[in-house]
Amino acid sequence: MSAISIRNLSKTYPVPFRRLRAFFRRPVKEPVEALRDVSFEVETGEIFGLIGRNGAGKTTLTKIVATLVQPTAGSVEVHGHDSVEDDEHVRRLIGLSTAEERSFYWRLTSEQNLMFFARLHGLSDRTAKQRIKDLFEKLELDEVARRRFGELSTGNKQRLAVARALLSSPQVLLLDEPTRSLDPLAAERMREMIRSLGQQDPPVTILFTSHNLAEVETLCARVAIISRGRIRAIDTPKNLRALTSESEMVHITVSSGKKIAFTRQHNDDLLDEKIRQLQKEGVKIIDIETERATLLDVLERYETADETD
Amino acid sequence: MKPRMRRIDKPMNALKLLPRRIFAFVARDFRLFVSYRMQFFLRIVSILAVVTTLFFISKIFAGFTDPQFSQWRDPLATWLTGLAVLNYFMTGFSSLANSIRQEQMQGTLESVLLTPINLPTVIVSSSAWDFLETTFFSFLYLFFGRVFFGVQYRGSFFLAVVFLLLTTVVLACLGILSASFAMVFKRGDPFGIFLGAGSALFSGVFFPTQLLKTHAGPALGSISLLLPATHGLQGIRQVLIEGHGLAEVTQPLFTLLGFLVVLLPFSLWVFGRAVRRAKREGSLIQY
Repeated sequence: MSAISIRNLSKTYPVPFRRLRAFFRRPVKEPVEALRDVSFEVETGEIFGLIGRNGAGKTTLTKIVATLVQPTAGSVEVHGHDSVEDDEHVRRLIGLSTAEERSFYWRLTSEQNLMFFARLHGLSDRTAKQRIKDLFEKLELDEVARRRFGELSTGNKQRLAVARALLSSPQVLLLDEPTRSLDPLAAERMREMIRSLGQQDPPVTILFTSHNLAEVETLCARVAIISRGRIRAIDTPKNLRALTSESEMVHITVSSGKKIAFTRQHNDDLLDEKIRQLQKEGVKIIDIETERATLLDVLERYETADETD
Repeated sequence: MKPRMRRIDKPMNALKLLPRRIFAFVARDFRLFVSYRMQFFLRIVSILAVVTTLFFISKIFAGFTDPQFSQWRDPLATWLTGLAVLNYFMTGFSSLANSIRQEQMQGTLESVLLTPINLPTVIVSSSAWDFLETTFFSFLYLFFGRVFFGVQYRGSFFLAVVFLLLTTVVLACLGILSASFAMVFKRGDPFGIFLGAGSALFSGVFFPTQLLKTHAGPALGSISLLLPATHGLQGIRQVLIEGHGLAEVTQPLFTLLGFLVVLLPFSLWVFGRAVRRAKREGSLIQY
């Protein structure tokens, strides 16, 4: 059974009191279509990336999985539980971390904030205290445990949001830009931790959204590209890159300072041949650089296609 | 598309976890409350100032009370019970709406609704601290009256508490309707305006409701009968000031029970609809 199963999901945000506004001849906005016929499955233990521009529908999709927004049509199942009919059960299985700073009590300390949410999850005080201690250690938050949330740096606020998402040891973790405000070292440690979650026993399934495409590429087994509420492609990062261009440019710098450039296909032997040839000639290779299509190129391709549509 | 209905989650499990969840909200709100210590002391001082002021005003009326208003022989006792109880009623009415509005403004409502708690738990827990706080401050009105100004109360305190709880639950139902309004419309809650301004004027906190009929006409005078607070206050004063027993207070008691039977299921139904609507519109954290 898939950890997350999304079938024909659509979401149109209604315009509140549309008929009433029309009756009083007030300007009436059009309903906003945030998602259209979205379907995909995420396997248990998989880190699944969701990329797209602002307003593409990533947050709406995450919130529907988290039971915070109701779909207009279609369904979401988390480990076989429907997000609308069995929402309370789904909330027991998931943890959500967003980059939204306003989701904590600013006058409470980090520890008090987590304690409150742990109790709502039904954890006993003893279990909650131990869990919070472990998470503070894991996310390097020990030093700010007794500081008010309002006094924390943006990076620590973000780490605390991840700690809260992990409080109930969820089977499914929804991470919305978890490294956005972190310094490079802290971001790398966060990525390490995310990777380890997918490998632990039982494994945690992660739905990961980020604007850092390099990060998505390193972390995610599969990536979905979402544009204007529609899923445009789902595949491994490597295969997605190949969708844009199957070739890459290779630059070899040799000891004399001379640069050799050529184009190769992803799966051909041209690079091996060139290296063998240079070694045979007794030339020392200093550096090899490749220029290949990135996820950004793939994203741009779909955005351009959508704009011309 | 046909809307899908939510499945009722194992009620026994939710019931077992209810005390822990209520405690979570109380502990959170207590910590937030003590982070503003000055406010706490100022409120105690202001209650003492109000009680003292009413003591001196009551001296103007000493010996002038109309015999038909039996509850008003000692105006200070009547005002103090009125204020203490009104305080309680207003909490019952406004607590949930205020806490929903506050959570929306803070942006924490989504985080709370993301935990596996059901709606009735949110309703009960969100107001728990407010009731504890109000119990303390309401008690201060009666305590200051008794200790500093010799106000005497008689009758069964237990029966008075029954009236207090019943009226508070009835007003809490109106509070749930008010919270539903806050959830959907965010501001401009008509229940708050009507009951907030109306209770002090029409429910007999400061003067006998009979005077309304005499001076403002029967139509305006009958408004007080529509307010649960009027019947609650009448019952509590009959018990604490006139020393009446259960047999003599059945009329306000049954009226309050009638309000409860109608309002409780209706308000819970409306609140559930309001949350679903906010989820449909994606406006849970908007304010």
